[in-house]
Amino acid sequence: MSEHTTPATTRPSDRKRYKRIAYGLLGAGIAALWIGIAVDRFVLGVLLYWAGGLGMGLVQRFSPVDLYDERDTTIERKASLTTMNVFAYLFILGAPGGLALQESGTVELPGEFYGAMWTLFAVSVVFGASLLYYKYRT
Amino acid sequence: MRNDISERRAETGESQADLAAAVGVTRQTINAIERERYDPSLELAFDLAAHFDCRIEDLFDPTAEDR
Repeated sequence: MSEHTTPATTRPSDRKRYKRIAYGLLGAGIAALWIGIAVDRFVLGVLLYWAGGLGMGLVQRFSPVDLYDERDTTIERKASLTTMNVFAYLFILGAPGGLALQESGTVELPGEFYGAMWTLFAVSVVFGASLLYYKYRT
Repeated sequence: MRNDISERRAETGESQADLAAAVGVTRQTINAIERERYDPSLELAFDLAAHFDCRIEDLFDPTAEDR
């Protein structure tokens, strides 16, 4: 068990301030992307968008306070699990179901269907690998 | 989980925000615990018990039915 300590520096105002900075950087990046597209400076817009996203990640990683507490983490975990369940059902039922309808001549599946199924497959593989990794480490 | 955090907070005159700051979580987390919508981790339960200078089992009652 890790040493039991209470973070003395986690004040709500600090947490809010750093959250504002983090989301502000991402927001600025997104705004820069849209402006870049509008003024036909797409590459510059993407670079600024990446910088905003990277800045957000750096603030989240290196800020002196925890931006998210344990309830935030629990909520995120539950939401992730629900998302994965939805994706799993879409993939497990959708892939064979779609192919069966195609084979029976009921529908002509568009290319997007296969793209979506491959994406769901890739997400499932990454989730499975991540699960194994944490199972091994925990 | 049934708890008497709000009563203890009232005794000490602390707001949810004060308690949240003292134990290093958000005010929303304290609110969720008081409303029995979120069960704290063992670490946070220890922090809360230490804050109110009592034992965890004095603060939380796992045998009581949730609302």
